[in-house]
Amino acid sequence: MILADLAHPRQDYSYGFLDAFARRELRRRILKAIAIPGYQVPYASRELPIARGWGTGGLQATLSVAGPQDVVKVIDQGADDSVNAANLRRFIARMTGVATTTDTTMATIIQSRHRIPEERLTEGQLLVLQVPDPEPLRAVQPDSSQAREMHADADYAQMWLSLYEQLVRFGRFMQGASYPVIVNRRYLMSPSPIPRWDTPALHQSAHLTILSAGREKRIYAVPPYTDVRPIEFSDVFFQVEDQTGRVCTLTGAGQKYMDELPQPGGESHFRISDTGYVEKLLKTAHGEPSDIGPTYYDDTGRFFLPGVIKVGA
Amino acid sequence: MTTPVMSPVDARQHDTFTTLMWALSYPGHATYLLATGADAFALIGETLVDLETGFFTPDALLTARLARTGGRSLPAESAPYQFYPRLGISELDLLAAAPVGSHAAPDLGATIVIGCTFGRGTCLRLRGPGIPGIREVLVGDLPDGLWDLRATKVHAPLGWDIFLVAGDAVLGLPRTTAVEVR
Repeated sequence: MILADLAHPRQDYSYGFLDAFARRELRRRILKAIAIPGYQVPYASRELPIARGWGTGGLQATLSVAGPQDVVKVIDQGADDSVNAANLRRFIARMTGVATTTDTTMATIIQSRHRIPEERLTEGQLLVLQVPDPEPLRAVQPDSSQAREMHADADYAQMWLSLYEQLVRFGRFMQGASYPVIVNRRYLMSPSPIPRWDTPALHQSAHLTILSAGREKRIYAVPPYTDVRPIEFSDVFFQVEDQTGRVCTLTGAGQKYMDELPQPGGESHFRISDTGYVEKLLKTAHGEPSDIGPTYYDDTGRFFLPGVIKVGA
Repeated sequence: MTTPVMSPVDARQHDTFTTLMWALSYPGHATYLLATGADAFALIGETLVDLETGFFTPDALLTARLARTGGRSLPAESAPYQFYPRLGISELDLLAAAPVGSHAAPDLGATIVIGCTFGRGTCLRLRGPGIPGIREVLVGDLPDGLWDLRATKVHAPLGWDIFLVAGDAVLGLPRTTAVEVR
């Protein structure tokens, strides 16, 4: 026997880039985050070869969970092919050997910046959302120590007041992305800057969601089949962005979340933001086989779970 | 640059972690470890415990194995990770002392790993996050007082997160799961 037989083969990096202690710490925190839905668990948030603010939180969560058998999809504002998504996907694949995909239904882990795919996620899938600011109370309480006390006391009165002020001043809720939600009837949570269109997809979802803020060193989770309710009044309801009348210029489809493309003449064109879904629609249109999964919203714009988006406000 | 490969240690810790993660995500739904019996407890220990944290177990043999992780052996009152391969009435007093966290830091509530059997014994009706509706499980070889004790100590967001281990099977019971003994 020679010494080389006893040693591990030399590797440039640890599997998943993070060292064993970092990975173990993250895994401990992830388990606590799942056990306390919506509670922001502090974690060390290690340095990565990308700058903070570019998805380091989501990246650390993905790297600590992914194994060689996983299939990873990475999107940025719905797009698989944006610079941020392409670079993160390449890095994850290089560091873990995972297969990658643009197909939501094929992925075991979906890391996303600011969107939830249009096709419904299912049991056993993990959605990792990149979070720039995990603190939903920031606008009403800039002192994070105070904000943590407010979470401890479930004291969210100032959020309700701010919601009321928006109604009085503007006649409607002004918050667009990052619309605050109450998770499991306990913690106020920022769902990350997903549009309001995506917020209902977290309610009683079949999949697990992990939200990680690398710069702010906070990780939190929404377990499957958990109540996630946007804050609203009993007589003025939360509403999603109205997509009525918008038609995707690529696919002709409507009632999905659209990117607006301003045109020189002043009018706008629209495209479905979820490029993986667009790819499938185009394949179907060209007669190619494409396995389109059920979507959160049907062709009339109705959310698949009744009663989640209330009408009549 | 070549893609790094998992060492055998990485591979089994990754498998154990994902098993625990899905067990906690879908409470009452069994997931499976790569080891059984005492080895299963050691496997969970090496996956979660290191020199940044500590553990408690009344089992002397397991104490020696968990010490190899670098984790500190702590008293039951302060150990964040606690392992009870056999939970008898005499151990309930130790378990009662396990930390439940505070409203400022509920994540300081302990993670408890308990040995038992599945498929016979007490019928537990579970509901809460991770469970669509109600799930029922049969759990045996646990003292009757465990569920009363849990009901006394666990009031989410404070409480313990329990992994029940039988052979290679694991059930997760996070603090948010309401347990009704039928």
